[in-house]
Amino acid sequence: MQQRLSWAETVTYGFIGLAVFLGVWYALPTIGLVPQQFLPSPVTVLNRMVVLMTQPFAGATLPAHIGYSFIRFFTGFLLAALIGIPLGLIMGWFRVVDEIVAPIFDGLRFIAPIAWVPFAALWFGTGVGGPVMIIFAGAFPPCVINAYRGAKQVDPQLIEAAEMLGTGHLRMMTEILLPASVPSIVAGLRVAAGLGWQSLVGAELIVASTGVGFMMVQAQGNVATSTVMCGMVAIGIVGLIIDMLLRRGEEAIRRRRGLAE
Amino acid sequence: MRNRKTIIGLGAILGVVVLWFALSRWFGIIPASRFPTPADFWDALKQIELRGYAGSRLHDHAWHSLRLIVISFIVAVGTGVPLGLLMGWNRKAEALINPVFTLIRPIPPLAWIPLAILWLGLGDAAKVMVIWFAAFVPSVINAHAGVRNIDKSVIEAARMLGTPPFRLVTEVILPGALPMIFTGLRLSLQASWTTLVAAELVGALVGIGFVLNVAQQDIYPAMILVGMLTAGVLGWFTTFILGLVEKSVLSWSVRGRA
Amino acid sequence: MGSIRFENVGKVYGNAKTGFKALDGVSLDISEKEFVAIVGPSGCGKTTCLRMVAGFESVSSGKVLVNDKTVTTPGADRAVVFQQFALFPWKTVRQNIEFGLRNKGIGRAERNRLVADALKLMTLESHGDAYPHQLSGGMQQRVAIARAYVLDPSVLLMDEPFGALDAQTRVVMQEELVRLARVNPRTVLFITHGVEEAVYLADRVAIMTRRPGTIKEVIDIKSIRTQEKWDSYEKIEDVMDLESFVHLRTRIWKSLREEKIAAVT
Repeated sequence: MQQRLSWAETVTYGFIGLAVFLGVWYALPTIGLVPQQFLPSPVTVLNRMVVLMTQPFAGATLPAHIGYSFIRFFTGFLLAALIGIPLGLIMGWFRVVDEIVAPIFDGLRFIAPIAWVPFAALWFGTGVGGPVMIIFAGAFPPCVINAYRGAKQVDPQLIEAAEMLGTGHLRMMTEILLPASVPSIVAGLRVAAGLGWQSLVGAELIVASTGVGFMMVQAQGNVATSTVMCGMVAIGIVGLIIDMLLRRGEEAIRRRRGLAE
Repeated sequence: MRNRKTIIGLGAILGVVVLWFALSRWFGIIPASRFPTPADFWDALKQIELRGYAGSRLHDHAWHSLRLIVISFIVAVGTGVPLGLLMGWNRKAEALINPVFTLIRPIPPLAWIPLAILWLGLGDAAKVMVIWFAAFVPSVINAHAGVRNIDKSVIEAARMLGTPPFRLVTEVILPGALPMIFTGLRLSLQASWTTLVAAELVGALVGIGFVLNVAQQDIYPAMILVGMLTAGVLGWFTTFILGLVEKSVLSWSVRGRA
Repeated sequence: MGSIRFENVGKVYGNAKTGFKALDGVSLDISEKEFVAIVGPSGCGKTTCLRMVAGFESVSSGKVLVNDKTVTTPGADRAVVFQQFALFPWKTVRQNIEFGLRNKGIGRAERNRLVADALKLMTLESHGDAYPHQLSGGMQQRVAIARAYVLDPSVLLMDEPFGALDAQTRVVMQEELVRLARVNPRTVLFITHGVEEAVYLADRVAIMTRRPGTIKEVIDIKSIRTQEKWDSYEKIEDVMDLESFVHLRTRIWKSLREEKIAAVT
């Protein structure tokens, strides 16, 4: 491995790389090597974004679409966490439950969340339940798995101490396993959020009548490429913000526990 | 101990199947329009395999999807792993490429579908493109991490022994990064399947996702279930094959499996 | 309340043929409010003995009785102090101490009173709201002891409780434990590597053979301690200077040394 670069070098190279990328992107459509319809220049996309902030497309402005998407995401994510985390803890504590549920869980895991879309469409039409169900399918496994792993990896001495102190099952799970598993659970939530947000996009491409994904599909149908790209940028930014918030939360918890590096 | 686990596991699955029969057929709690009965499922399965549905038989659809997965997967990891290795090894390359990579990364693979359709139409090429975006990222990240995790003294020893660059890459760096690369491969494969099914759902003329799409429009729940389970089985199968490859390639690794 | 009896206890890990025999016919009687230390070479099974009384391990043969009843599950009547403290890192000192009381269903007012007493007893008053990772090793172990004491257990089981502490802290804790034991006596089973620690703290010291462990001999300390008035000395180092102390210590050392040599040859 090579030597680390100085901060100045890193910035310079980064700048060059970025500049080349943006430069080529800008040059291709502007010079006319590639039709504007096919690849709008970054400037066009930026302008389009500004326009979409106030002017509706496919039924709502960009912020409104984002809002719809986010609510669906949040609902599905919350459901996945509220059901998945307790399930993971219970499976981690009661071996019988683990043995019964694990095979079913492992089997279903291979079915991509997006494959639930047809059923979602069948059961919910274009209502909010459809996307929520897909998001749930995406976010659920990491919640369960990380809660389960967290519970299984609790220091056995802590469990013995709790047993010695006469702790019942419910309290064992809520006051011992759950707090002990928080680092693992939060890491799982980050993964779940990522998967959930991705599943949302997929779901909205098919079974929605509002939301950023829907907007992109409509734009694609109208060959409004710059709008499609605006959607992509918006999705990327919101996804980043969600991940950043969760990462902050994770670090705060690690610091509180004295686990920070 | 192991036997008990297998027995309970099988019992659980059996229990689910029995429950399925019970809720749908015997007690009629779940209406057939919402979720297929086992009998419906079996009929649909027979239909698609023996007579065909959505334009082809089941094995044709499955084969088409499988082919796409293999091609896209290979292209994605074939580009992603070398790039990740390069970025891990060469700090300048990393500094150059990182900003662009960081820009592209947050965009969910599925979000590329509309753009891919605009650019490449509804055919296979668009699917390969979208899957590429999905499978590319985990491969890069894990190859990068794999290189960084190689014990420094191993590299220094190789240098001391006068290893020429090409051999350094193929016989030192690549094997050293291999465990983490495989972790990336597993993630890439998972992403590939998710993306393919989605891409085929949105715009295709053949494939598992297309079956799902048509079944949904026909309001044919039993066929939907057939599609889902086929996707699951294919996903499991490819993961299993990857696991076999990993085991044989990584037999030297103490951990065996990252 | 608080008698412990080991009746010809044996422990085998794995099956009878290929298994690993940890204990072989351990018999020991501990009376109420007696402080008994078990010393022995590494791996002799002394911790296993404690864990059996605690209910964390089962016997393969023989019986372990507390108050004439066979031990089955862990419980607050046999409180354990672990070598690695085993405090709940996400709970404050106060919350750690009151946890066992909550499990017993004791009401809040009563709990607060008991916890306050325990904090005072272990000189932790100003640390009630701290988290374990903010405390030193010695303080954390004090919390662990407080957590055990507050339950008023008939038996206190201490598994090399000062093993993870530095030498100076260990000495301080030993003095404290002696003070506690005189002020608030109860049956204590204390496992340790340290012969001096055992002689200083205990009423009797049981010496275990190497694996498979059994009780080699039991040495009475209390009579000599009372006779030579060790308790009149405030500091450990003064007691450890006494000829009576040195004599006992050496005697136990020699016995242990035989076991260690036998283990190696």
